[in-house]
Amino acid sequence: MEQIGFFFNQTRCTGCYACIVACKDWHDIPAGPASWIKISAVEKGKFPDVYLGYLFTTCFHCGDPLCLKACPVQAITKGLEDGIVVVNTDSCIGGEECKFACLKACPYKVPQFGTESNPKMQKCDLCKDRLAEGKMPICIAACPLRALDVAPLDQFMAKYGNMRKAEGFKYIKRVNPSIVFRPKD
Amino acid sequence: MKQSNEKVVYTTCASHCGGTCVLKCYVKAGVLTRIETDDGKEAQLRACAKGRAYRQRVYHPDRLLFPMKRVGKRGEGKFERITWDEALDTVAGELIRVRDTYGPASILYLWRAADMHQINNSNPFHKLLTLAGGYTGLWGIASFQGGISASEAQYGTRTTDNARDDLLNSRLIILWGWNPANTITGTNTSWYLAQAREAGSRVIAVDPRHTDTAAIFADEWIPIRPGTDAAMLIAMAYVMIDKNLQDRAFLDRYTIGFEKFKDSVLGLKDGEAKTPSWAEQITGVPASTIENLAVEYVTTKPAALMTGIAPGRTAYGEQYHRAAMTLAAMTGNVGIHGGSAGARAWESSQWYPFKMKFPRSRTSKGVHKADLPDFILKGKAGGYPADPKLAVILNTNYANQDLNTNKVVQGLMALEFIVVQEQFMTATAKFADILFPTTTFLERNDIDQGVGTAFYGYVNKVIEPLGECKSHLEIARELAVRMGIADFGDESEDELLRQEVAGTEIPDYEEFKTKGIYRIKLDEPYVAFKKQIEDPDNNPFPTPSGKIEIYSSKWATCNNPKLPPVPTYIETWESRNDPLSAKYPLQLITTHFKRRVHAQFDNVPWLRELEEQAILINSIDAQVRGINKGDKVKVFNARGMVIITAAVTERILPGVVDMPEGAWSEQDENGVDWGGNPNALTRNQPSPIGSYPFNTCLVEVEKL
Repeated sequence: MEQIGFFFNQTRCTGCYACIVACKDWHDIPAGPASWIKISAVEKGKFPDVYLGYLFTTCFHCGDPLCLKACPVQAITKGLEDGIVVVNTDSCIGGEECKFACLKACPYKVPQFGTESNPKMQKCDLCKDRLAEGKMPICIAACPLRALDVAPLDQFMAKYGNMRKAEGFKYIKRVNPSIVFRPKD
Repeated sequence: MKQSNEKVVYTTCASHCGGTCVLKCYVKAGVLTRIETDDGKEAQLRACAKGRAYRQRVYHPDRLLFPMKRVGKRGEGKFERITWDEALDTVAGELIRVRDTYGPASILYLWRAADMHQINNSNPFHKLLTLAGGYTGLWGIASFQGGISASEAQYGTRTTDNARDDLLNSRLIILWGWNPANTITGTNTSWYLAQAREAGSRVIAVDPRHTDTAAIFADEWIPIRPGTDAAMLIAMAYVMIDKNLQDRAFLDRYTIGFEKFKDSVLGLKDGEAKTPSWAEQITGVPASTIENLAVEYVTTKPAALMTGIAPGRTAYGEQYHRAAMTLAAMTGNVGIHGGSAGARAWESSQWYPFKMKFPRSRTSKGVHKADLPDFILKGKAGGYPADPKLAVILNTNYANQDLNTNKVVQGLMALEFIVVQEQFMTATAKFADILFPTTTFLERNDIDQGVGTAFYGYVNKVIEPLGECKSHLEIARELAVRMGIADFGDESEDELLRQEVAGTEIPDYEEFKTKGIYRIKLDEPYVAFKKQIEDPDNNPFPTPSGKIEIYSSKWATCNNPKLPPVPTYIETWESRNDPLSAKYPLQLITTHFKRRVHAQFDNVPWLRELEEQAILINSIDAQVRGINKGDKVKVFNARGMVIITAAVTERILPGVVDMPEGAWSEQDENGVDWGGNPNALTRNQPSPIGSYPFNTCLVEVEKL
């Protein structure tokens, strides 16, 4: 299995939100609490010695995804060849039914739910359909700063080193999130 | 990725942000389904969040879809639907009536730029109204009037900026009041900054805020008080002169008036040397920081002083621009790779090397837009050239975006007739007597151009106009028919666009239309004034003297002590020292919000949900007022009051608050604005040269 993962260059991200909106447009997600990508501002220090970095968060298609184990109906699977973690919306029984088990299990709070009653879980699927056609995931193609990339994780580690940490991000070895960073110090 | 029955149309989004970005639109059964961006070779012209959200804008349920006429009182926003025939007949009738009763000078044409297009812009109505007998022009470019006028005085032209990819040649980049990470100002500008930084350029940001641009790209942030930028720049000149570091050969060869400027800087005229200590008192920037920056700028070559236009939007903003250009000359960074003429970090129409002539505003004629309320209310009795009776308003959310909303409203209420062309029921649309619903750029064809990068964009019609919406050209043409104007012209949009392209660099119209982009091939990044520097004898600057006028002969003839011929720091009204500051101690700036383009996109759900409109206030100022993050606060001065959420932060200079411009007004019955629009507070007093002082305003903030 060649795990596909993200590279996020935190030194380039200006928090412009193009990735979030591109993702919502491409996957037809309405405005509302469900967003497959979150951008958060990490602010530290006191005027005038201030730090700001932005953090890109999405499903990290973990090497050992806790959501997959928590789902009572096995609606979440991990690709045998690419390691992409997907939820089968037809199999999903809805968050109210299972008391949002996957969301409770995920240390990064990735699973998303819309405002409909008993909402099905939704999340980043690494734009599997686009990858199958040789296209980059929509967020990678959208980023005006070219701060994002997707490739086999091994390639990123060879190129950027085993940089698993970033400002605002907690690297949880146990779940092995598939992301390499260039952190902003 | 195409589904069957799905076609792809490339177009370009040229919103009023200076970006000209590719939108690859998927259309199924006449409906726009999804958007991608440039997927060609690098450097791709990638769209921002606003461009990506356009589907929600074009199909917004609040789009104006049919003409309307006012019922009830003007400004209430109560309308009823009418036919195009009735709408056009009414407007044509009113234009004729007012012209014949009061004369054409009583007609106002109030427009700004909106989308930066070639055909569907202010020109169709300009042509219509001119053929019909004329109108009183209104001038003053809100974005950068000070920058333009200063540039024309010093360089003889407003075309002064190097191309953005030239930043890769800079060893030092100074971002002065410039925030392209949020404001765009040319597709890929931030990306070039990122690359320059990664290649080893040193970047320094001077700004009252720790902007996203400063945070991500700058090695050093220098906080500065709003309205004091000229003082810091002039003190930097003092340092260079004191240490004899200025480029004397450059100054001798290419400039006039440096000696007069030097005398002023050394205090030979007014007895006050413009030292870093002098500037520290004014700017709040430590004298040592000013000295270090001056030395660094004059000894690091090439260096690009990127002169953001926000500091020019102050009470004497043109002085900031003059001082910045003068430093660019003193350091010898004009007309070289990696340098910058220091005029304006923005380059729009007529930018060399485009062969196509793009529309530019007709300058300095008629009445300044900031004086418009006064002009309407007083007319000839107030010394103005006419008594306005009728206004045609398009491509502008004037009632939302102009200084001093309450004054603006007074003016609009006094007119006999107002017609507004709009996409939404904006604050301005509410004042219409007749509303024309108009198309977005996705519903029509046009051409635009890159800002800071040499390419043309084709605007391809992606979908049919919604409802009964018509384009600028269509509406003006139909009015011309009703007004009996025979020579308006009946060429189609396509014919006009083909005419535009003929004789330019673009060899194949059809290919340009299909691809949506034509890139002009240049051997190297474009550098402004390269010829003037390399071969000055044959390429003088277009000034009266043929040189860079540090002493401006044009401004000298004005004999205005507030418009001195050499760059001079002049303290603004509503500065910290203004007696008003006892009541209103905080300096308000009104910056650009990253999820909007001015007032556009404020109603788009995907964008609204990204960040809340809020006033940025330093934690020190918040604490003494008992304000916590997320509290509702009232922001007020003698001109008005705004209720808004507080965003408490470390990323702004204490004593300064920032209420981003463009939020849609929501005035209650007492005139208090709950929408977060800062123009309830700003003062409609232009600078001596016509700058809009959106960033000169004192306020107080209290917990609600």
